[in-house]
Amino acid sequence: MEDEQNFSDICGGRLALQRRCYSPSCLEFCLSCPRITLRSLTAVTCTVWLAAYGLFTLCENSMILSAAIFITLLGLLGYLHFVKIDHETLLIIDSLGIQMTSSYASGKESTTFIEMGEVNDVVINEAIYMQKVIYYLCILLKDPVEPHGISQVVPLFQSAKPRLDCLIEVYRSCQDILAHQKATSTSP
Amino acid sequence: MGLVSRGTAEAGLGAASAVDRPGPPDAVPDPIPTPPAEGADPGSSRGPGMVLKAYFPTCCASADSGLLVGRWVPEQSSAVVLAVVHFPFIPIQVKELLAQVQQASQVGVTVLGTWCHRRQEPEESLGHFLEGLGAIFSHKPWFQLCRERGSKSWSCKATRWQGPASPAASGEDQVMLIFYDQRKVLLSQLHPPAALPDRQAGDTTASAGGLAAVFDTVARSEALFQSDRFDEGPVRLSHWQSEGVEASILVELAKWAAGPVCLLLACLLSLVSAASACRVFKLWPLSFIWSKLSTCEQLRHRLEQLTLIFSTRKAKNPAQLMRKANMFVSVLLDVALGLMLLSWLHRKDLIGQLADALIPVADHVAEELQHLLQWLMGAPAGLKMNRALDQVLGRFFLYHIHLWISYIHLMSPFIERILWHVGLSACLGLTVALSILSDIIALLTFHIYCFYVYGARLYCLKIHGLSSLWRLFRGKKWNVLRQRVDSCSYDLDELFIGTLLFTVLVFLLPTTALYYLVFTLLRLLVVTVQGLIHLLVDLINSLPLYSLGLRLCRPYRLAAGVKFRVLEHETGRPLRLLMQINPLPYSRVMHTYRLPTCGCHPQHSWGSLCRKLFFGELIYPWRQRGDKQD
Amino acid sequence: MCAQPVTNTKEARWQKVLYERQPFPDNYVDQRFLEELRKNVYARKYQYWAVVFESSVVIQQLCSVCVFVVIWWYMDEGLLAPHWLFGTGLASSLIGYVLFDLIDGGEGRKKSGRTRWADLKSALVFITFTYGFSPVLKTLTESVSTDTIYAMSVFMLLGHLIFFDYGANAAIVSSTLSLNMAIFASVCLASRLPRSLHAFVMVTFAIQIFALWPMLQKKLKACTPHSYVGVTLLFAFSALGGLLSISAVGAILFALLLVSISCLCPFYLIRLQLFKENIHGPWDEAEIKEDLSRFLS
Repeated sequence: MEDEQNFSDICGGRLALQRRCYSPSCLEFCLSCPRITLRSLTAVTCTVWLAAYGLFTLCENSMILSAAIFITLLGLLGYLHFVKIDHETLLIIDSLGIQMTSSYASGKESTTFIEMGEVNDVVINEAIYMQKVIYYLCILLKDPVEPHGISQVVPLFQSAKPRLDCLIEVYRSCQDILAHQKATSTSP
Repeated sequence: MGLVSRGTAEAGLGAASAVDRPGPPDAVPDPIPTPPAEGADPGSSRGPGMVLKAYFPTCCASADSGLLVGRWVPEQSSAVVLAVVHFPFIPIQVKELLAQVQQASQVGVTVLGTWCHRRQEPEESLGHFLEGLGAIFSHKPWFQLCRERGSKSWSCKATRWQGPASPAASGEDQVMLIFYDQRKVLLSQLHPPAALPDRQAGDTTASAGGLAAVFDTVARSEALFQSDRFDEGPVRLSHWQSEGVEASILVELAKWAAGPVCLLLACLLSLVSAASACRVFKLWPLSFIWSKLSTCEQLRHRLEQLTLIFSTRKAKNPAQLMRKANMFVSVLLDVALGLMLLSWLHRKDLIGQLADALIPVADHVAEELQHLLQWLMGAPAGLKMNRALDQVLGRFFLYHIHLWISYIHLMSPFIERILWHVGLSACLGLTVALSILSDIIALLTFHIYCFYVYGARLYCLKIHGLSSLWRLFRGKKWNVLRQRVDSCSYDLDELFIGTLLFTVLVFLLPTTALYYLVFTLLRLLVVTVQGLIHLLVDLINSLPLYSLGLRLCRPYRLAAGVKFRVLEHETGRPLRLLMQINPLPYSRVMHTYRLPTCGCHPQHSWGSLCRKLFFGELIYPWRQRGDKQD
Repeated sequence: MCAQPVTNTKEARWQKVLYERQPFPDNYVDQRFLEELRKNVYARKYQYWAVVFESSVVIQQLCSVCVFVVIWWYMDEGLLAPHWLFGTGLASSLIGYVLFDLIDGGEGRKKSGRTRWADLKSALVFITFTYGFSPVLKTLTESVSTDTIYAMSVFMLLGHLIFFDYGANAAIVSSTLSLNMAIFASVCLASRLPRSLHAFVMVTFAIQIFALWPMLQKKLKACTPHSYVGVTLLFAFSALGGLLSISAVGAILFALLLVSISCLCPFYLIRLQLFKENIHGPWDEAEIKEDLSRFLS
């Protein structure tokens, strides 16, 4: 059971939201961020190399050129490994928890799992981001001391930053499962 | 169904998921009454039925049929399967074994249900037999777990017995199968998120999290896993087994010898610390010197660490054990690096060369300082300084340098021997050698320190005088009681003398400030070098090498939490998840296990440092030990 | 409130209160509003000669600065021997000291409770410190450019004139600051003089003219106004004479300045009073009549 929808992020980039429904109690959303474009890659590389070549003609030291090559390579590697997030996954399992995974372009994955017992609610929130107001989905964590308090807010899809229509789609499904969870945890 | 399961971890599951789909469809009728397919009865599955979670060890996935033994956690409505008891068994013996385990581990281990692994043709009788077992080992709910032959289709059924003998009236719940690696879960140490301050690292039982309970259950029922495959007990169990005890003689010997060696070393160390606590060393000039020498600080720190390592008391919790191990590795590395340095120094007779080079370097530094002073006594950088004061200060400092040079020359015959002895100290560790180096630098640049102190005192006097005289100039004064500037009427003679002094100080300020600036820069250079050495020492002292190595080689030992992966799924079958250990990030490893260093915080923030420099207060590289504790 | 139309004004008489519900908008006023307008309540009538008399304090201070600069110029040129100046200064100080007690018959001294011994001590402190510091003062500004020193002195003397206590009750007045600025200027100028004795005498003279002479003036003005006018005239003419011996243009300009301050400025003050139009009324902010300044020390 899998369907894919296209949305756009806050800057107008194209996002693909994959929704996988394993069972009524287990749902996965995968939000693929826009890929790194060849154009921007070429532009950055050319800029660095042109600057290095300009410096080289000024001071005639070939170390600068090799340094530029290394800087480009290391920068690209670092960008792919630590900055560029390829897709973000949200896995909601009823009565178990919510798991967020962000996969970097290099294949590195960083996962956070939040147990259902700690989750207070999932809400859509507003935030001021640069010059505009954006919406984001976030998980509210329960305060272990005070049962109705909120100790922490965990934002979701931080790198993709989808628009409200996409968030509502995810939000509805989350709420379905959370409602089921609440009903079962109170009934016995 | 386009989901491709990535990177399967375990052999049994890997095989299961690698085969895309079992070849022949199930022609044989299912002997075990399967739970009603969820698709067929949406009302019961969509309703607010409980979702039961069954944690199942991956190593038991290929075990023979039998009984599921584990713990039922009612708050989480989850069952943690620990082992599978194989046929044939005598129920009394199983109960006895479980009672033993329960007594040893304080975990409520019970029989949870049955496990049926169909390798060959299904046997009709087995199904009925398994069903009948529920009557002997009554448990609510009763799990019936079943794996089809060589395939990935599992079925699971949880039955709540309403009456003692009426399975037909039982209610059935949704079941979720979660596979876990028993060995990793057993060995791993869960670190709850650092964001919650009231939870302690070792305090997993207090936190009521569901996963913590699972981890706790597995860790505490270690007694169940003691028997290995070759043991011939009355009950045949299937669970994770170690690869066999390592029977190396060396390890045995080390284990056997560790106790007495520790005792001996602890005695020696207590002797050393008693000697160092001797009253003779606490007399005034000596104690002052001890507190200022970084070598002594470092030695004291190492002594404390060694005392802790070789103390015969057992570590109370895993955190303490880890700390001990970290300290031990850190000391070992330190000593190894120190020995390397020592051998390198002695192989090429570097000490002699160093001693020969030291005197000319000191001379050269003194000469450069003389040049600098002569430059300052002229018109440095075109600045207009007060000639008389300039000459006085310059001559005073020149005389000081002269004294210093003669002192160095007096010392020169002994330098090589001193250096040789100092070099020997490297066998105590690289950090000790570095601390000694820092102290030597401090001693060799004593003249710069003196200049700095004179300059700073003079400048400080001027600045304070000027600030209070400026208040007098405006007809104000500092009210100590109210901590503010109040207006005040002065006498005529006070005003006159104050203004006279103010004028004099204003015109003399640039000269003093320039001398202060130059010597402060020199001092800052020395302090920076010393600070870098201290930083290196602190790094070696505080790096939790053992934890980092553990994180690198056995990532599951330090767990930040878990992550789940959905295994291939068919409709109508229970959801299967694979639980993997989420290793702790390196930054948190560093943060959690960083060893305390000797007074490790820098004394100033940048702002206060600049303020102190501006007002001419003295800055010191050494740290105050007592102040930072509270 | 505002929605209420202003139709029934006849029945309800408007009151200037906000705490009662009235059929008017909040910002409504009626005809009686301007009845309370008053003009020039606090305006004062000045007498021309009284104002001229009061302006003599400014004249005195200007002349002091002028005399000080002239004397310094003479010293710098070497036309005036320091011994002579010191002797004259000492003699005039003694005369002034005697006068200071004679004018009011020793009442001021009784009131302040200051003994002769304290005066002697102050004098000793002045002399010793100035004499001890004079070599330092001599070399103090050696490496600083002369123009810088001149600029600083002019700035400080201007500050002295601005902040001097002429008897006005204003926030800017600070006799301490004014005296300190004068001393600073004198020290700066003294450091340009050829020898340390010159510097010593110059600073001593500065104390006499900037610190002691105004005290005597104040007493003179309070007790014998006629002699005070005479002293002022004498002082002004001597300052003009001294300036004339240095530069005629400067003297003429200074004379014009003095005349304009003592004659023209009072005339204008009185003329401009006619155009004064201060309106007072109920719209003024509340004013606290009682002088509270004694509570805020």
